[in-house]
Amino acid sequence: MQLHINTYGAYVHVKDQMFEIRVPDEKKTAKSHLAAHKVKSIIMATGTALSTDAIKLAMMHNVDILFIEQYGKPIGRVWHSKLGSTTKIRKAQLVASMNVTGVKWVKEWVLTKVDNQIQFIKDLRKHRKQHHEFMDEKIGQIENLYLSIQELQGEVVSDIADTLRGLEGTSGRLYFETLSKLLAKEYQFAGRSSRPAQNPFNAFLNYAYGMLYGKVERTLILAGLDPYLGFLHRDDYNQLSFVFDFIEPYRIYAETVVFRLFSAKKVNQGHTDKITKGYSLNQEGKQLLVTAFNDYTEEATIRYRGRNQTRSNAMLMDARTFANSLIAPVVENTIK
Amino acid sequence: MIVWVLYDIEEDKARTKIAKACKQAGLYRVQYSVFLGTLTTNEKDSLTLQIKGLMDEDRDKVYIFPMSKDELRQTELLGQAFDKKLVTDEIKALFY
Repeated sequence: MQLHINTYGAYVHVKDQMFEIRVPDEKKTAKSHLAAHKVKSIIMATGTALSTDAIKLAMMHNVDILFIEQYGKPIGRVWHSKLGSTTKIRKAQLVASMNVTGVKWVKEWVLTKVDNQIQFIKDLRKHRKQHHEFMDEKIGQIENLYLSIQELQGEVVSDIADTLRGLEGTSGRLYFETLSKLLAKEYQFAGRSSRPAQNPFNAFLNYAYGMLYGKVERTLILAGLDPYLGFLHRDDYNQLSFVFDFIEPYRIYAETVVFRLFSAKKVNQGHTDKITKGYSLNQEGKQLLVTAFNDYTEEATIRYRGRNQTRSNAMLMDARTFANSLIAPVVENTIK
Repeated sequence: MIVWVLYDIEEDKARTKIAKACKQAGLYRVQYSVFLGTLTTNEKDSLTLQIKGLMDEDRDKVYIFPMSKDELRQTELLGQAFDKKLVTDEIKALFY
């Protein structure tokens, strides 16, 4: 299971070879013990503490420790220093980032993302007769962008990077405009916003993307890929980040979970706090979102390559397929 | 499988050690001398051996019962009872 340490002053350390979590309270400190092998990851928010022995115990049991900032974005992780797989993969990844293979994959990931957006809107369209005209217009526009992306040609990623980012951005704008329109009046939003989010929907979405980012990074390490050897997308420090490339086809997971929470009216005013210049997800909101996100990615199964798989597993299989295609380029592979 | 461990141990030191062994194996304390949780067959076997080494076989009593998920579902829990989802490892995230 995942341990989410959010309370200010909470302390994770080791007692009798188990994780002990101390949460300070006004009267007394509450302690809980958990066997190390039952824990899969520990997510530490800012304002909490961790002992080096706890890190050691985590490393011994392959427990992933993730540090996140207030809005859910991961700022670092502790992971044992072994590679997930052979170094050959990283070398091949570097080569691919500089040739036409990179172009092919970058296009494929972005196309999958845009296609996911189209399919999601089409799916929502089935039960929203009153919005058909509006939705059809947006679907048409996004489909045109899809075709434009498909036609991009280049020898290296930088040949098409600017145009691709532009098309991708436009598609995203149209997509979120559509999602907003389908929400209840009080939850509609004007585009994406972060640090801080300007509205509850974005607060939820930012946190969900943050969780997804952590998951993708872990997946890439497991598959032997380098999370920082990016092809197209840049992180906050304007450095290329492979996580931001590979995450594209899976952003729909975060969006679906968040949209469903809002459209099913599971979210209320009590889940977000109004902060200076925006909104932030509070403890209750985090619990609601984390539980829904885990159910969607770790519990529910989808039919994938002839087997019932969780979405998390399917993602790992995709990453492995990609890694293997880099070191054995003869085999033709696709994302889906 | 779901495993119940119930014991009567006379000596304090041995009792503390057995309780610790149960917790380390991944069981949850649902009552003073009752532990419950999900274990693999191997984990159950090694816990059994561990307890056997700690207890006094002439005086103490320990029961280790397996239970199926179906049976747990039919179990009646009254009052301040444990969380069925926690002991079956269905809870995927804990918040502190």
